[in-house]
Amino acid sequence: MVENAAPVPVPGDPPKSTIVESLSGKHVLITGVTGFLGQVVFERLLRDCPDTPIVLLVRGQQSQTGRARVEYLLRKPAFDPLRELLGEIALLRALDDRVTVVEGDFSKDVPRLPPGLDVVFHCAATVSFASPIDEGFQTNLYGAMNLYEGVVRSSSRPHLVHVSTAYVAGVQKGVIPEATLDHRVDWRLEAELALGARRDVETQSRRPELLDSFMEKAEKEHSRAGPTTVADDAEERRRGWVSKRLTEYGRARARSLGWPDVYTFTKAMGERAVEELAAEHGLPLSIVRPSIIESALLHPAPGWIDGFKMADPIIRAYGLGQIPEFPGIPEGIVDIIPVDFVVNAMLAVAVSPPDPGSPGYFHVSSGDRNPLQYFELYEYVREYFEAHPLPERGRGEHKVPEWKFPGNLKVERLIRRAEKLTDLAEQVVTHLPKSKAMRDAVARVDRDKSRVDFVKRYSDLYGAYTEAEVIYTDDRMLALWESLPVKDRATFPFDSAAVDWKYYLQDVHCPAVTESLRELSKRRAKPAVKIVERAEPVVAVFDMEGTIITSNVVESYVWAKFADLEPEGWPAELVSVFGRIPSYLQADRRDRGEFLRTFFRRYEGCSVEGLQRLIDQHVTEFMLQKASQASIRRVREHRAAGHRTILLTAAAEPFIQPLAPLFDLVIGAQLQVRDGRYTGFMSAPPLVGEARSAWLRRWAAAEGVDLRHSYAYADSHSDLPLLRAVGNPVVVSPDSALYRYARRRRWPIEEWSMSKGMPRVRFPRPATR
Amino acid sequence: MPRPGFVLEVDERTPPLLVHEGEGYRLQKFPWGTRVVYPPDSLPAIRDVNAAIRHALLSPVGSEPLPELLKPGMKLTIAVDDISIPLPQMRTPDVRQRILEHVIELAASKGVEDVKIVVATALHRRMTAAEIKRMVGERVFRSFWPNDLSNFDAEDPDALTHVGTTDKGEDVEISKRAAESDLIVYVNVNLVAMDGGHKSVAVGLASYKSLKHHHNVDTMMHSLSYMDPREGRSAIYDSATRMGRLIAASGIKVFQIETTLNNDTFPSQLGFLNKREWEWSAFDQGLMMAARKGNDLAPPRVRREVFRRIEADYGLTGVNAGEVEAVHERTLANLHRQQLVEVRGQSDVLVMGIPYIGPYNVNSILNPILVHCLGLGYLFNMYRNKPLVKPGGVVIMFHPVPWEFHQIHHPSYIDFFEEVLAETTDPSTIESKFEQQYATDPWYTHLYRTSHAYHGVHPFYMWYWGAHGRDHAGDVIFVGGDAKAVARLGYRRAGTFGDALEMAKDTVGPSPSITYFHAPPLMIADVK
Repeated sequence: MVENAAPVPVPGDPPKSTIVESLSGKHVLITGVTGFLGQVVFERLLRDCPDTPIVLLVRGQQSQTGRARVEYLLRKPAFDPLRELLGEIALLRALDDRVTVVEGDFSKDVPRLPPGLDVVFHCAATVSFASPIDEGFQTNLYGAMNLYEGVVRSSSRPHLVHVSTAYVAGVQKGVIPEATLDHRVDWRLEAELALGARRDVETQSRRPELLDSFMEKAEKEHSRAGPTTVADDAEERRRGWVSKRLTEYGRARARSLGWPDVYTFTKAMGERAVEELAAEHGLPLSIVRPSIIESALLHPAPGWIDGFKMADPIIRAYGLGQIPEFPGIPEGIVDIIPVDFVVNAMLAVAVSPPDPGSPGYFHVSSGDRNPLQYFELYEYVREYFEAHPLPERGRGEHKVPEWKFPGNLKVERLIRRAEKLTDLAEQVVTHLPKSKAMRDAVARVDRDKSRVDFVKRYSDLYGAYTEAEVIYTDDRMLALWESLPVKDRATFPFDSAAVDWKYYLQDVHCPAVTESLRELSKRRAKPAVKIVERAEPVVAVFDMEGTIITSNVVESYVWAKFADLEPEGWPAELVSVFGRIPSYLQADRRDRGEFLRTFFRRYEGCSVEGLQRLIDQHVTEFMLQKASQASIRRVREHRAAGHRTILLTAAAEPFIQPLAPLFDLVIGAQLQVRDGRYTGFMSAPPLVGEARSAWLRRWAAAEGVDLRHSYAYADSHSDLPLLRAVGNPVVVSPDSALYRYARRRRWPIEEWSMSKGMPRVRFPRPATR
Repeated sequence: MPRPGFVLEVDERTPPLLVHEGEGYRLQKFPWGTRVVYPPDSLPAIRDVNAAIRHALLSPVGSEPLPELLKPGMKLTIAVDDISIPLPQMRTPDVRQRILEHVIELAASKGVEDVKIVVATALHRRMTAAEIKRMVGERVFRSFWPNDLSNFDAEDPDALTHVGTTDKGEDVEISKRAAESDLIVYVNVNLVAMDGGHKSVAVGLASYKSLKHHHNVDTMMHSLSYMDPREGRSAIYDSATRMGRLIAASGIKVFQIETTLNNDTFPSQLGFLNKREWEWSAFDQGLMMAARKGNDLAPPRVRREVFRRIEADYGLTGVNAGEVEAVHERTLANLHRQQLVEVRGQSDVLVMGIPYIGPYNVNSILNPILVHCLGLGYLFNMYRNKPLVKPGGVVIMFHPVPWEFHQIHHPSYIDFFEEVLAETTDPSTIESKFEQQYATDPWYTHLYRTSHAYHGVHPFYMWYWGAHGRDHAGDVIFVGGDAKAVARLGYRRAGTFGDALEMAKDTVGPSPSITYFHAPPLMIADVK
């Protein structure tokens, strides 16, 4: 794919003066200054080139101006050494004196830039390997085009230093020289179609068959929570589908043209577009292609890294003992380069511009002259973790697994099997009845699943990188290096042959990326409920069944019914109720309201007075016995904090009386009464699912209660709308769906149950009647 | 003639001794030289109980015979002790049933129509209908329940009356119905020396406002011991006496009936629990082994149920009626006859087995606070003159102390354990910082009045009850207790008795003197 593989002479005149001297008085524009690479370029110029005016092109964010973002940037670790050297005030003064911040989003439009620019460092890029195809083109191609268009319009004729990647060479194996890419792909057509793809996919996503399938899945999960929740979820699924589809478009198109992913594909298209633009306007252009950029060897500090780059999530997960095997060819070369080497190389490139019309190409890579084999990398990392294992809370230390490199096919099979197993386990746990053991099992399955997903995702993504049998030559880079004055070589080192991989990995890189895993004490605390007194009215809403009492409608019915029957009547009633339990449960699963309607029919003909007598004599004891003391304590805490308390339940109102004194308001199902007897119908629709949140909103508006500071407690997924209506949702002994939801949202999870040692609730003793 | 209680010194011939530990018991080897205090043998029971009751009612002490006090048109209130005594529950018919039947018959024959029976629960839980029925018997229950037979309600402002204030400034507020009656007949079961006397009406029918004057840390710390009601020994009893005398002086007439029981604490199928180990027959030994094995194998729920159903074959040793103080003097003499054991000197370590039942967990759960109270409040205080253990000595108790509570009976206990004890175990701090809040909490009051919950303040009293023992001991160790629950109580835990003795040596030195208080059956150690 690459033209003439022969060595090429270094373009432009070899620099006679040092980098600092050459950049003195030059106006330099940097894009992507908040990114990994951009930060260090900026820091270096600020620190070592005091006479170089800097222009930063920064995108404003919602409330933050570009300037504010830069000030925030200066407080980040990359600037720590510099801040220590100069002091806070001098650093801010340097910002005032030497830096111009231009606000603009050039992925969308051509930015307005100041005139007189001499060098442009274009560091901004999306490094996501799996982004939707239109976004990839937008950032990596149109972004660069807009930027350079803006440069041209500002009537500057600067040297463009365009940061690309070594992997633009695509999937080809062998030796890749520093030259223009050899391909005949029409970038204009690809870019145009890529942008148009979103419209196509959006259209497709609205086909009735697809919408129906989104609805079906949403209903399966949320039908008990109500139609709005279902619709919201279906729309979320549609959007997810669009994004996934566009990502697939990108991956498939990239692979069909010989690139491993959308990132390298759009970067390659971008290079070609930039070459054409530079040639058209007669701009000197240098394309810098780093390989895998990792933490700094020396500058701004050894081990400095911003976020986690390609290898780091895997190194961390490996250190935690979570990756038993990973695909890749052990002899393959992993081409890593420290970030400061890339920045130094860019500066050296910047001061030796090529002739307009014959761009310069530079690989900043290590594979040619100082190759690090995949197997070596693994060994160094393993040795590191064996010498410095990661601590495991309460259990000593994590042990790292030994990889056997059984071949990619086998590893893939392993991953597939693990996937199947976790899927199976998931099927099982989500059908377990509600209990603490179920929730622990769900947590375990989720953890295993996320581990398997992790390995799978990364092995899909990085497959091409870990098995690449490819060498990126860096002859031009080397020539440039050798042409530098000795002083520059000391100040701005970038000779990859000089890196001692063992030292770099074990003493610089691994300690840096695992630092946060060693601070066990900083582990995130479990979310907890904070009961705060407030000036404005606040409410705490409690669901009853399953939350405050460990019982449900069926049980309380059976109980009350038994109390009313002579013992001889029990077996018949037992058969009658228990025989219908499956249909009740089915109805309950489908629709709470429907279930309740079916169920309350059983009260038909029951006398109001009789039920009241039962409640006084038996139900009170039953309810108090079934109520968890922790829940009662919590209700009382809310009251003590001046909150209003509401009990919301689907149970019939007479049954709630024993708990009523705890609450300011009790809302239950109201049974219709005619001539002193219950008719078996409700006098109003039951308050379940979304009806609860709707009711609460209306009530809060009428009472002037601030729901953002209010609390809701519930146990069932059907109460999701209620929980979402308040600022402080708390889930109590939840079912598996709600448990997962709460964990994702970091909502507090309480386990409330009856006191240990309580005797079983027994049928009422006739003696007491 | 039954043998008196005695003190055994453990030597090489002493077999392992029986130690109670909650819903179970163990056989424990004790170091040589350990003193073991045994209760006296059970006294012979009165054969004709009905005759004895009749005699007491017709020839009372310091009072006219009961029939002479009964007149047509009068208001009569009969108060009875609640389920907290005797322990275990008495096999039916309960002695209270028999007395009630006699009193009611007399009243009926004298044309008294306004008769109310009230269970003198004070701040205890309301008894359930079934429990009351068991206690008063079918006939009385059927005739009086629920309108004329009920639990006392110390939180019903309309049903209380302020009788006056003692010379020490103590409020006396008791049941209005009782105070306005022409006669109160109080039916007591006097299981221990603390029961009865002026404590009956002045405590059993009183409200929190009145009770807080003696149920507090300061009084408890000056009651040495609660089981010694002689004037000046027990601040709590002195206070009750002041109140009782005020009640009498205000014209409220009390006809006191007190009964004492013998030491037949366990039924015949558990008869070995009433005997001394070396006197066990082969049958007793077999029974003991079988019962222990069965108990170990049974699931906790079943075990609790089995123990709950134990009924004692108590025999009556005396029934006295008449004027409160005169009656109580006779009662104490009877009690001492059954329970007093002479012990010479204190020791460094006191060992006690905590049984499955105390006054506040009948048909319920002995929660950790009640374990504390039963051990350091009741058993520790079963002495006269001075405690069995030296000041700063170590108390070792056997009990599993499970983290278990009865939600209906002890709701405020759960919160006390979770909230108060989590913050401090110091009785005075607890009293000043939390008592008022719990005592006046509307939810606890609601549960006390309408459900079967002990009053919100009751766990505080349990904690104060053990305050003197807690203060007196240098260290308290539970053998086999739940680590977390024991720590919450502020005590230490040991896996075995051997470990506990090793731990005790930190406090009392390498070769401590040890006393094992071999109860129940109950006794009072008269420490000289």
